[in-house]
Amino acid sequence: MKEIVSDSTIQKSYEAVVVGAGCGGLAAAAQLAAKGVQVLLLEQHNLPGGFGSSFVRGRFEFETALHMLVDYGPSYRMGSVRKFFENDIALDIELVEVPDAYRIIIADDGIDAVIPLGVEQFISAIEDAVPGSRPSMTSYIELCKEVMDALEYIGESKGRPDQKVLRAKYPRFLKTTAYSVEEVTRKFNIPDKALKLLYSYWMVVGPPPSRLNFTTFAAFMFRYMTHGSFIPRMRSHEMMTALDERIRELGGDIEYNSRVEKILVQNGEVIGIETAKGDRIETKHVICNASPTITYNNLVYPKEEVPQRAYQTINAREHGLTMFVVYLGLDASAEELGLDTYGYMITPFLEPDRLYENFYRLGSPTVQATVCMNAALPECSPPGTSIVFLASLMRPEAWASVRPGNYFALKNKMAKAMIEQFENKTGIKLSDHIEEIEIATPQTFARYTGTHNGVIYGYEPESWDWTMPRLASIQNEYYIRGLHFSGGFSFLCAGYSNSLLSGKMAANFTIKEMEKER
Amino acid sequence: MKFVKGNIRDLIAFLRLVPQRRKRIKAASASPTPSGPVNRLAHQLHPTSMNLVIREMLDETPTTRTFRLVADPESETNDLALFRAGQYLSVKCRIGDVLVSRPYSLSSSPLDALKRGFYEITMRKKEGGFFTDHVWNSWKTGTRIETSGPAGYFYIDPVRDSKDIVALAGGCGITPFRSMLRDITQNGIKIRFTLLYGIPKPDEIIFEEELAEMEQSAGGRIRVHYICSEPDQQWTGPTGFLSANTISRLAGEIVNKTFFICGPQEMYRYLESELASLSIPRRRLRWEACGEAADVTAYEGFPQEMANRSFDVTVQMGGAVHRLKAQSTESLMVSLERAGLAPPSQCRSGDCGICRSRLSSGEVFVIPDSDGRRAADRIYGYIHLCSTYPLSDVELIVPRSD
Repeated sequence: MKEIVSDSTIQKSYEAVVVGAGCGGLAAAAQLAAKGVQVLLLEQHNLPGGFGSSFVRGRFEFETALHMLVDYGPSYRMGSVRKFFENDIALDIELVEVPDAYRIIIADDGIDAVIPLGVEQFISAIEDAVPGSRPSMTSYIELCKEVMDALEYIGESKGRPDQKVLRAKYPRFLKTTAYSVEEVTRKFNIPDKALKLLYSYWMVVGPPPSRLNFTTFAAFMFRYMTHGSFIPRMRSHEMMTALDERIRELGGDIEYNSRVEKILVQNGEVIGIETAKGDRIETKHVICNASPTITYNNLVYPKEEVPQRAYQTINAREHGLTMFVVYLGLDASAEELGLDTYGYMITPFLEPDRLYENFYRLGSPTVQATVCMNAALPECSPPGTSIVFLASLMRPEAWASVRPGNYFALKNKMAKAMIEQFENKTGIKLSDHIEEIEIATPQTFARYTGTHNGVIYGYEPESWDWTMPRLASIQNEYYIRGLHFSGGFSFLCAGYSNSLLSGKMAANFTIKEMEKER
Repeated sequence: MKFVKGNIRDLIAFLRLVPQRRKRIKAASASPTPSGPVNRLAHQLHPTSMNLVIREMLDETPTTRTFRLVADPESETNDLALFRAGQYLSVKCRIGDVLVSRPYSLSSSPLDALKRGFYEITMRKKEGGFFTDHVWNSWKTGTRIETSGPAGYFYIDPVRDSKDIVALAGGCGITPFRSMLRDITQNGIKIRFTLLYGIPKPDEIIFEEELAEMEQSAGGRIRVHYICSEPDQQWTGPTGFLSANTISRLAGEIVNKTFFICGPQEMYRYLESELASLSIPRRRLRWEACGEAADVTAYEGFPQEMANRSFDVTVQMGGAVHRLKAQSTESLMVSLERAGLAPPSQCRSGDCGICRSRLSSGEVFVIPDSDGRRAADRIYGYIHLCSTYPLSDVELIVPRSD
């Protein structure tokens, strides 16, 4: 019936194996292949992308989550991701810039403002909404710029900055980096209402300002304001497929539906991997795009090879947030419906700690981010239709008492409440136009990626656990020789850009090690 | 701002970041991290596969049979995954040297699975059908079978759909509606449900008694009408096909109703034009995936001169490269299965994307109605094997099955 031409497209041994084709894994495999390393990328799902994917319902193709690349930038102000794509791996893809504003509605405060990009525009918009806020906001944003400049300098110095230069040119970077957003921001006497508008960004990063590391927040906000954000034209799946294509062109191998079950370790060193399909592949270098939590608990084999310290490291950290997303394919155009903005943030109040508390509760989500894809990509759905999704952050613990028997009803109830909140606060009617609806819960994210507890935000970047202390502890926390991490749970903290860049970083660690071995 | 808490204090705070990190790590638990509630629930809801045992079989009509399936703890399936009325299972079978799968709607209700521990699927025996011949010959009480978890999008969504449902069933397409009606009846769901059930001959009605009982007990909210295309002399009900006229006469006002449609492919082709004349908005029409095309040459765009041609297919799959023959009128999925390969497969209608594969070279025909591919996949040369037909020699990269 069939003849076997060859049985050896996967080799028995590779210089490096990448576990998981999420953003970080794809980037790592691409970087390794570009540097001539013989690499195999293994993925449990039948698609590349991890959280960055897409799915089709009827005549709509939905983006899986609120994906925006804030570190891509326009061609005249290239961000790190664009540099990586163009200079390191020569990826052939053109991304689209997201229109530069989002609308924020804080019901209890009567705030309904459009927040634009650009430093000057941002400060002016806040001044318009909260007269008198300009001076304090201006000096605050100056500080954010100093922080961003310092990080760029550290990046350029390849992680070995001259302490003297840091102290002389960016003194306030060092002085603020051990503190939370709240501890630093408090010093500026920003009017309360303006602070709320400023704080509308925290949810993109994770924990509330009382715990969120200031540098992480400042860098994100400033980069977003100055570089804008970019998305792939055909949802994230396009970029992931382009990366897959590029890895193969560069000589890398990729296998889907091939879950790595074991990372084989002997005497503290990686010696290979084993898949659920029974492949056993020798390698001394693994880049794992699964979180350290999943890796140490489930993948490293035998278990005795996991040092106590590794468990302590993951258990000390706070696993971040997950999401609840409602995807709508509407049978009316964005213009007909009055959806004139890409992003809407809607909340009854904006007290971060109180909002974060609410993430632990099921029921009607309090704060939601709503995106109309067509505002950035008019062609993303057929003429006369539009795509909207409504997302809310959650703590996984909220789902502890949910059983299969009440799961579907709960999903529908929460989705309905979010749609109603959007309609009530914007006056834009969606519910009469729903042609397709899909709902993703933390269970959905866990199902497709295997992430611990459905978490997509990585470990929370509190000051002791943001990128700098993570990087400064690399040697200390390097528990298994040859095993590096990429993805949202690795050094660079979570986020679309960071996950991609983490792959490049992990690949470079691996390459350096290989060079030493030679 | 010159400093946060004091010049020196700020620098000390900075220098203490790493020591503070070490201290926190030292203080943390050195035991494995307990797995979370989210992963547990995800696994209960969406097992990748289930091992089931046939508990009972019941002949519904001379050509249809219901199989009652229960979990098989001996093969590590302890519970049945919950589903939404209208969803299907992909049933996997080894027939000779060939591993195949077929999607079958669950005809039982979610509550049957949750409280009474069983699923039911109801099949019609096809004359000379490769799969159903095997089932009729070899499935008995006690036979073990493997299925996917529940899948599919053919269910009533309370956020999207009207509370007034019209179901158009043809022949064995009644099965998801039996599930929906049991669900409505068992849970007292407050919706109106009008079933228009088209059958060729009067003796081909499946679930007749049960449908009558559910109709009687629903106080007017459930209505069942049978429409017979080849009636005998005793038949007193409506006759013919599910025409626009028949639909409006039996279902009443069209406005604000959601239509669910499940039946054979000929019925879909007929209904498309009939429903178009009723001007029902697209969001009010829910079509169940129709399975693999019975005759690909009937689709617009299929080059007729290519019918019944045979081509070479080179398949890279699971680390090996295979070469096999494929017919232009059979989907690549079927050709690969015939050759003894078992590509991943689930909906077999072009929708679910489980069989997404890379077309490295060659020309193919993709059925436009069943082209559920992502936009980027069309550009980068990916296909869904179950809705794709070769028009030349082709080279494929196919992921291994789950």
